[in-house]
Amino acid sequence: MTVKVENITEIKGFLQELKEYSSYDLCEYSDSSIYRRIKKILKDHKLSLDQLIAKTKTDSLFIENIIQEITVNTTEFFRDPEVWRELYQNFYPTLRNKKYINIWHAGCSSGQEVYSNLILLNELDLLDKSNVIATDLNSKVLKVAKSGKYDKKENQEYFENFNAVLNREGNGSDILFEKYFEDGVNSNCVEVKSFLRKQSDFQQHDLVKEEMNNHAKFDIIFCRNVLIYFNSALQTKILKQFHNKLTNGGILVLGNHEGLNGFFKTKFIKDGPVFIKNNTFHFQF
Amino acid sequence: MNDNIRYKAIIIGGSAGSFTVVSKILSKMNPDFPIPVIVCMHRLKHVRSGLVEGLNLKSNIKVIEPNDKEKIVGNRIYLAPSNYHLFIEFDNTIHLSTEETFNHSRPAIDHAFSSAAYAYRDKVLGIILTGANRDGANGMKEIHFKNGTTIVQDPESCDIDTMPKAALNLFEPDYILTPDKITEYLNQLSV
Repeated sequence: MTVKVENITEIKGFLQELKEYSSYDLCEYSDSSIYRRIKKILKDHKLSLDQLIAKTKTDSLFIENIIQEITVNTTEFFRDPEVWRELYQNFYPTLRNKKYINIWHAGCSSGQEVYSNLILLNELDLLDKSNVIATDLNSKVLKVAKSGKYDKKENQEYFENFNAVLNREGNGSDILFEKYFEDGVNSNCVEVKSFLRKQSDFQQHDLVKEEMNNHAKFDIIFCRNVLIYFNSALQTKILKQFHNKLTNGGILVLGNHEGLNGFFKTKFIKDGPVFIKNNTFHFQF
Repeated sequence: MNDNIRYKAIIIGGSAGSFTVVSKILSKMNPDFPIPVIVCMHRLKHVRSGLVEGLNLKSNIKVIEPNDKEKIVGNRIYLAPSNYHLFIEFDNTIHLSTEETFNHSRPAIDHAFSSAAYAYRDKVLGIILTGANRDGANGMKEIHFKNGTTIVQDPESCDIDTMPKAALNLFEPDYILTPDKITEYLNQLSV
């Protein structure tokens, strides 16, 4: 069966219906990537766009599944090891004297980077004073994140990043993987140990729709490879929120090939792989 | 073949053995080459960094790994960053994505080629080089059927000819050329 190629206007019609019949607003996602994702869904489910819209109006479980397929949920332990090395060696040590360290993972997906970060904090003896909030709009990936259970095979290559970050030559004695993960010999899963799991607070939250309700400002916000799926207007709106929610000198960690658009280029200073909140100008915008 | 104004971009894909070929082509290209060149190469997992530096040492034209939403301009080589898919948008910008691997690859050459076929239609030149898998063949076919120009590296000149041969099985390209001839073809575009 050949699937009719829908045009972007029709796809936008679907996004409007989705917004009306569910809590999900994807209207300001970037056109081309949403177009590609929805075309793939139509093909995988052998649906026409009309059928997709009809199902969206009646089947809430279907919506949850579709949202998981539209959004990109790929993530890795210690993705881009050099970024984590920088945090480990240079940034976190500067927070040693703070009473609390507040951290937000915005768009945390299945949580691998949340646990990566908790491992660093533990190695630096900062775990007890860290408050970690991790949010995503999709309930299904959050469930995985909370469980801390990961497929061994799917994540195997990323566990190598663990050594690249924590066990570089000349570090003396090696930090063992087993310190943080239960690795059942006969199981396909590795499981994050409970002392790490209980340190993170996973919450469902849609960056697009609401501000983060947290009275304390964050010392660090991770939002890696999330904004690339949004259009410029939405990116700007979210960057403004991040800027407001960061402490002075707080840092924003984006994906390795994400930049800041327009106005916000002046509101952050790029320092290696991270963006430091710049408070030189205190005007309102 | 005075069709230099025909191309809005040139897109090159390759896998095993292609680093040497791309370096060679870039080292002999006219430094004023006016058309943007997008390069999508598979990378070994353990050699994720250093590629852009390596190419810049050889290239006569500046090589960069673009950010998401970066504008594509002439006289520049865009190297697909590791661990992202690269797509060309209708507004002549680059879109990066971390969606699932495709053909076991990220970047996937098929994604880059098909997006270029849609964005540029007959105004793109696609080049597929040596490689050990089939990624890129379908994307080249799309460029071909959208009336873009296609060059397949002569399988005889390839380290591993799986990729060019996969393309040749799907359509008849405009040219089958050795790396030297590819460089010649490109340089006459900028005359």
